[in-house]
Amino acid sequence: MAALTLEKLTVSFGGLIAVNELDLHIRDGELRCLLGPNGAGKSTTLDLICGKTKPTSGRVLLGNKDITHLEEFKRARAGVGRKFQTPTVFKELNVIENLEIGRSARPGIASTLRVFRTPVSGRIREVLSLVGLEGEMFTKAENLSHGQTQWLELAMLLMQDCQVILMDEPTAGMTVQETNQTAALFRELQGDHTMIVVEHDMAFVRDIADIVTVMDSGSLLAEGNIAEIESNAAVREAYLADVGDDEHA
Amino acid sequence: MNKGFSIDCIGYAMFAVFILLVMPWMVDYSGYELNTYARYLALGMAAAALALSWGTAGLLNLGQALTFGIGAYIMAMHLKLKASASQAGGLPDFMVWTNMEELPWFWEPFHSVGITLAAGVLVPVGIAGLIGGFMFRGRITGVFVAIITLSLMLAVQLWMIAEQQFTGGQNGLTGLASLELFGWSVDIYTVAFYYLVAGCLMVILTLALLLVRSKAGLVLRAIKADPERVRFFGYDVARYEVLAFSISAGIAGVAGMFYAMVLEFASPTYMGLSLSLAFVIWAAVGGRESIVAATLGGIGVNMAEGRLSDLFFDQWTLILGVIFIVVVLFLPRGLFGLVMDFREKLEDFYRNKTTASTASAMESNPVSAIDQGGDK
Repeated sequence: MAALTLEKLTVSFGGLIAVNELDLHIRDGELRCLLGPNGAGKSTTLDLICGKTKPTSGRVLLGNKDITHLEEFKRARAGVGRKFQTPTVFKELNVIENLEIGRSARPGIASTLRVFRTPVSGRIREVLSLVGLEGEMFTKAENLSHGQTQWLELAMLLMQDCQVILMDEPTAGMTVQETNQTAALFRELQGDHTMIVVEHDMAFVRDIADIVTVMDSGSLLAEGNIAEIESNAAVREAYLADVGDDEHA
Repeated sequence: MNKGFSIDCIGYAMFAVFILLVMPWMVDYSGYELNTYARYLALGMAAAALALSWGTAGLLNLGQALTFGIGAYIMAMHLKLKASASQAGGLPDFMVWTNMEELPWFWEPFHSVGITLAAGVLVPVGIAGLIGGFMFRGRITGVFVAIITLSLMLAVQLWMIAEQQFTGGQNGLTGLASLELFGWSVDIYTVAFYYLVAGCLMVILTLALLLVRSKAGLVLRAIKADPERVRFFGYDVARYEVLAFSISAGIAGVAGMFYAMVLEFASPTYMGLSLSLAFVIWAAVGGRESIVAATLGGIGVNMAEGRLSDLFFDQWTLILGVIFIVVVLFLPRGLFGLVMDFREKLEDFYRNKTTASTASAMESNPVSAIDQGGDK
């Protein structure tokens, strides 16, 4: 069954068509990588799925449920989680408090008024050790390193435990070692969660992707496994050749 | 979320000792002096209300005096009706002067003490809920919240001045009776009245502290930092903002009721620009992040004003302005921020000393160290 379906999804900003009749079917538990040159509409696609941007036309289906016109917080409750390109955590809150915000299974006022402490056990303890922030529980997020901030946002998404997780360049600014750890984490999530990952790091994409979708100028350019994509002439022309150069530079 | 609660409790306990024991002792339990202090407490309560919406959720309500004034007028309407009972038809004097034939319908319910007390809280809550609902569903934030609340307050103030036959106009409601609660005729120049105000303030601060320290308070702090991000975790941001906004309005309403009792009149200046901005200054001086600190800011600045305005007269407003500028420039987190910085320095100092000696012990058994942290 498809966990997430985009049907002819289109958005234009004052005449500029950022995403053009995009069709996407993502299976339950799949890890889909979204590639494309800058301005191809990858981040905008994620924005359309999580509700940050409203589409001009087309539909977004989560399972069988049409979420095209749902408000952001309702989509989040329905099971769409989002990690932003620049790590977006709450800088004035400490690590535990950030995770408590992430732990949003019961987001209503009636329930949150009754919660007074974060139990540092069970899932929170697990997630903390998974992202290596056990020693930083009471550190304010603004005092974390860039890599740690990325991990904190990932940890918040793990606490949120969404069915579909949208990741915008999750390894940006990470060291090679941190990137490898992230890949390991993603493989762990694979199967239980459906993930869409926008990523430029080809080594990382080869490491994790089930199926790769390549976008160019807002449209779908190619779709297939990594070998098919890398041998696709149109893709090479639009994108991969450039990346290859970048990697050697 | 777990950390910091103990610090709150210490600050809260010290505050309780200060207003329940030290302040009455300072004036030798003189009922007359305590009346002035009760006024400071009422104003401190208004500063607390502002800190709840501004400091916690980042919603700067420049029209806080609107709900404060509504609370004051509601109390004054009840006391005015009581004072006018012997008049023909029970009509307040200003209505007679403006040729009103009978009491307007919206005055009728305020014959009852119970309705008055409930309305003093619920009407401000309702109004704030309505305004907040429109604003926050429309995702209005930041300076626009300040502009809208400010202009709404001024509009209501103009209406209150214009509709003299209903509101007493520019003069407001004067010549009030004293409140009667369960057969107790409240004399505002007594120690008992001071403790009534102080007790209410403590109860309100306790409830506010519980709100701020609950997960709902955490969500509000997160909203203050980045409302967009909070939405993507599934929280209905608008609803949380309305919650903070209307609870704050309810507290301001209570403060207004006490203020009208203490001063024995209600006037349109209660919902005026200068009082509303004064709330902001008090909260900023005390520290808007902490409700107790903001309350102390309100009490402290007013105490200083009481002492110094005799000496400086008109220049007091100027001094207040200078204090505000100094706070904004050098102490953006208010006096509370100063205390917290000092505490952090102290903690760092302490930590550096202990980690130097126990670093090896911590390393050999990191799990137990974390457990201790978690149980706080």
